Amino acid sequence: MHSILAVDDSASMRQMVSFTLKSAGYNVVEAVDGQDAWEKAGGRSFDLVLTDQNMPRMDGISLTKKLRENPQFKATPILILTTESSDQMKMAGRSAGATGWLVKPFDPNKLLEVIKKVIR
Amino acid sequence: MGMMEKLDLQTDLAREYLTFRLGDEEYGIDILKVQEIRGYENPTRIANASHFLKGVVNLRGTIVPIVDLRLRFGCASAEYNAFTVSIVLHIGHRTIGTVVDSVSDVMEIPAESVRPAPEMHSAIDASFIRGLAQVGERMVILLDIEGLLMSPDMGLAD
Amino acid sequence: MAEMNTDNSQSAGIDLSQFYQVFFEEAGENLDNMERLLLGLDITQADDEELNAIFRCAHSIKGGAATFGFSDVAELTHQMETLLDKLRRHELAPNASMVDVLLASGDALKAQLARHQGNGGDAIDTTDLLANVRALVAGQAPTAVAAAPAVVAQVAAAAPAKGKRLVELRVGPLSNLAQADELRDLFKEIEGLGTIEDLPSFPDQANTRRFKLETASAESDLLDLFTFHVSREEVVFLPWSEGGVQVDPDKGLFEGGAAAAHEEPGYGFFDNAPGAPLSGVASASSASAEVVQASSAAAKPAAKADKPAAGGLESSTIRVSVEKVDQLINLVGELVITQAMLAQNSRGLDPVLYQQLVSGLTDLDRNTRDLQEAVMSIRMIPMSTVFSRFPRMLRDLANKLGKKVELVMQGESTELDKGLVEKITDPLTHLVRNSCDHGVEMPADRLARGKPEVGTITLAASHQGGSIVIEVRDDGRGLNREKLISKAREKGIDAPDTMSDSDCWNLIFAPGFSTADEVTDVSGRGVGMDVVKRNITSLGGTVEIDSAEGYGMRVSVRLPLTLAIMDGMSVGVGEEVYILPLSSVVESFQVNEEMVKTIGGSGRVVEVREEYMPVIELEKVFGVPRFDWEHTSGIMVVVEAEGGRVALLVDELLGQQQVVVKNLESNYRKVNDVSGATIMGDGRVALILDVGSLVRRSRH
Repeated sequence: MHSILAVDDSASMRQMVSFTLKSAGYNVVEAVDGQDAWEKAGGRSFDLVLTDQNMPRMDGISLTKKLRENPQFKATPILILTTESSDQMKMAGRSAGATGWLVKPFDPNKLLEVIKKVIR
Repeated sequence: MGMMEKLDLQTDLAREYLTFRLGDEEYGIDILKVQEIRGYENPTRIANASHFLKGVVNLRGTIVPIVDLRLRFGCASAEYNAFTVSIVLHIGHRTIGTVVDSVSDVMEIPAESVRPAPEMHSAIDASFIRGLAQVGERMVILLDIEGLLMSPDMGLAD
Repeated sequence: MAEMNTDNSQSAGIDLSQFYQVFFEEAGENLDNMERLLLGLDITQADDEELNAIFRCAHSIKGGAATFGFSDVAELTHQMETLLDKLRRHELAPNASMVDVLLASGDALKAQLARHQGNGGDAIDTTDLLANVRALVAGQAPTAVAAAPAVVAQVAAAAPAKGKRLVELRVGPLSNLAQADELRDLFKEIEGLGTIEDLPSFPDQANTRRFKLETASAESDLLDLFTFHVSREEVVFLPWSEGGVQVDPDKGLFEGGAAAAHEEPGYGFFDNAPGAPLSGVASASSASAEVVQASSAAAKPAAKADKPAAGGLESSTIRVSVEKVDQLINLVGELVITQAMLAQNSRGLDPVLYQQLVSGLTDLDRNTRDLQEAVMSIRMIPMSTVFSRFPRMLRDLANKLGKKVELVMQGESTELDKGLVEKITDPLTHLVRNSCDHGVEMPADRLARGKPEVGTITLAASHQGGSIVIEVRDDGRGLNREKLISKAREKGIDAPDTMSDSDCWNLIFAPGFSTADEVTDVSGRGVGMDVVKRNITSLGGTVEIDSAEGYGMRVSVRLPLTLAIMDGMSVGVGEEVYILPLSSVVESFQVNEEMVKTIGGSGRVVEVREEYMPVIELEKVFGVPRFDWEHTSGIMVVVEAEGGRVALLVDELLGQQQVVVKNLESNYRKVNDVSGATIMGDGRVALILDVGSLVRRSRH
C-alpha cells in the first residue's frame, strides 16, 4: 500500500485531502506545517509528499529543499499545492527540487489523477 | 376580556391536557409543559419565602423548587400523604415542581368545548384561566400554568 | 458576485460538505487571529512576521473557501490577500486606513461565513469594500471606509481602481538582451512613469525579456518612449493577471513557463525533477540554468516563538466539545456525592473488623479528590479568551466617541472556570464601556488637565487566595462625590455628607442610578451598574470601587475560582442542615447562655479571647422551626469573610465533606444569605450559606 505525507496548516484542507486519498486506498500521514512534516518524515519512507506552500514555521518550498537533502527523500515525488501558479512560484519550486505542483482549489478527482501519474 | 381576545385565546389553546385535582376542583394544563410526575418528598425549607413555596428538592442532581398549588389557590386543606403528587414542569428554561392532590388523566380537549371563564372573584387571577372545558359531566379549568408560575407574586423568578 | 457557494459539495463520489464544519471553525479562528494581529500591528514599524501571519490567515481562508465553493468568501479574501502580499513584500507601506479596510473586510467575511453556515441574514454587499481594497492595492486612498453593510444582494461587479494599472511587458525576441535594460532605466529616470520589475523569461523564449509594469501612463506613450531603444514590433503589452492564466495574444491560452503545453491544466511537473513522471506525460521543457527569484516567493520561516494567546498550531492538543467536558464534570460531581455517601454510611463500621473496606474507602476519598481536581482543571481557561474581544471593541468605541484610548491587558494567562468566563463577559464589557464613555475625558480636556492625550484603560487579572480578581482601571476623570450624593438624594437614597468615600462610590450600584448627563446608547442603556453587581453577586463574587477624582477609577471584581466543588462543613440547626465553606471557618467552640451577651437589647455578642464578636443566630435568620423549647443551641462557629468575623450559633457540628455546589438560581432565584445548594449523602438538599452576606448582616 502506498504511503503519502500530506502537509497543510488548514485542518479542513488536510481532512479533505486525507479523506480523498484514504478513500482511494492510500495510507496517509498528516502534518500541520513544514516543521511538523520534517519531524514526521524522519526514519520513514513515503511514496509521495503533498505539501501546501504557505504555512507557518516552514513553508512548502523550504520543506522540499530540506527533504531533498536527505538521501531517503532524494527521489520521492514531491508536489506543492499552491493557490498561485505564478512563474516565480514555479521557479522556486523547481529550484528547490519539487517534482511538480497542483493549483488550489482543485477537486478531489483531479488530485487523484495527478497522484496516479507520479506514484509508482 | 373582549370578544376578539377571547377568540384569539381559542386559537392558541393546547390540544392535550394533563388534568389534576385540587380539592374539589379539576384543572387542566398543557401536557407539553409536563416533564414528569413524582411522589411528594419533604423539601428543604427556604427561609422567608411565600407560604406556598415549600422549598427545594433534589431531582436527579438538579435543585428544583416546589410550589404547593393548593396553598396558592387557598384550598381548604392541603395534606401530605401517600397520594400527594408533584407535577414536575418545564417552564422556559426552569424546572419547577407543583404539589397537587392527585393527577387524573391526559385528555384531548377540542377548542369547541372550551368556554371563556366568566368575570368573577377568585383566588386565581382571571388572566391565568384560559377557559372552562366541558368534558362529559366534568368541568375542567384550563390554566395558563406558565403565566401563573412566572407571575411576580409567585416569587419564583427574579 | 456570487452569494451562495457553487455546489461543490458532491465531487464525484466525495461529499465535501463533511468538511464544511471544520472549515468554518478554522476560518473563524483565522479571522479572530487576523483581527488580533491587525489591532496589534505597529504601523510605523510593522513586524515582518506579523505581516506574514496576517497574510497566511487570509490565504488559508481563501484556499478553503475556493475548495469548498464559497466563492463570495474566496473573492474577498483573494483581494485582501493581494493587498497583504504587497505589504509583506514591502511593496506597500501599511497605514491606518488599510487596517480599517482590512478590519471591515474581516467583519464582512464573518457575516458571509455566518450565512453559509445557515445563520441567516441578508446577502452582504461587498462592492464598496472590494473597491476600497483594490484602491489600496493600487496605492490609493479608499473612499468611504464603512463597515460592510448587510444589504440586499445586487448584481454588478465593482468598478476597477482608477489610476495605475498593472501590465505585463514583453520585449523581444532581442538579439541583445541588454537593450531591454535600457527600458528599465527609463522608469528610473522619468518620474511618474511607474514602476518596472523583472520577470523570469519563458524557457522557450529565452530571447524575450519580461517585465511587470505598474503605470498610469497610456501604452501609446510608453511605446513612444520605448522605441528609442527597441523597435515597435518587439514590444507587446499584455493585461496583467495575478497568479492565474496569462493570455498570450498570439497563442491563445497560456503557454510557457515551467508548465505543461498549451493549456492550463492546473498542475504540472518539472522536467527532470526527482520523482517526475517518465516521458509520455505532459512535462515542461528544460529551464535554462538561471538564478531564480525565490526570495519573494518563500515566506521566511518563523524564527520567533508565537506570541502568547495566539491560536497555536501545536499538535499536542485535541479539540473536545464542551458538552463532553460538562458531562465529564457532572459525572465526577455525582461520583463525589456517591463517595461522600459511602464515607458517611461507613462511619459506624468497626475499623478493625472492616479494615480493608475502610482503608479502601480512604483511598477512594483521595482518588476522588485527585480526579476532581484534574477534571476541574480541564475547564480552566485563560482570561485572554475574555479579554480578546476588548481591543477591537474599545477601538471602535473610542473612534465613535472621538476619544483616544489605549488598552493595557495584564495577567491574560490567569485561568478561570469556563462557566465563569461566559458569565463574566457581559459585566466586564459594561465596565470597560463605562470607563471609555464616562471615565476617559476627550483628548482636548485631558491635555488641558496636563494628562497625556491618550487615556489608558487597564484590564488586569490575578489569583488571590481562592479567588480570581479582575480589575478594570482607567486614568480618566474618576467619580465626583458631590454629583453622586446629590443624585442619590434625588432618588430618595439616604446619603449623608459625612458618608465615607467607599460608601459613596457604592451608590453607583443602586438600581437605576446613572449620573451620565445623557444616556448614550453605549453604556447608559439601562444595563446599569446595579445589573453588573447583581450578575457578579450571583456568581458568588464581589465588586468594589475605588476612585480619585481627576485621576481615575478602579473597579475590582472578585470571583471564586470555581463554582463547582467545595470543601464544606455541615452544621445542624433544628432539623435543618446548612453547609459552611470550610475555607471561611476559623474555629468552633461550645457555649452556654452566660457567655452570650446582649448589646442595645438586640445585638448579641460573645467573648472570644478578649474580643467581643457579633453573634448570628442561624435559627433566627432562617426561621428554623423549633419543637423543643428546652433546647438551647450550644455551639459557636466562627467564620470570616470580607475582612470581618462573626460567630454563628448552631446546634451541632455534623462533619466535613466535599460538596458539589449546585445553583439555586437556575430554577429558582437568589436567596438571601445563601450562595448555593448541595445534595447530601442521603439525597436531600442542603443550603450553602453565604458567609460574606452573613458578615455584612452583622454590621448593620
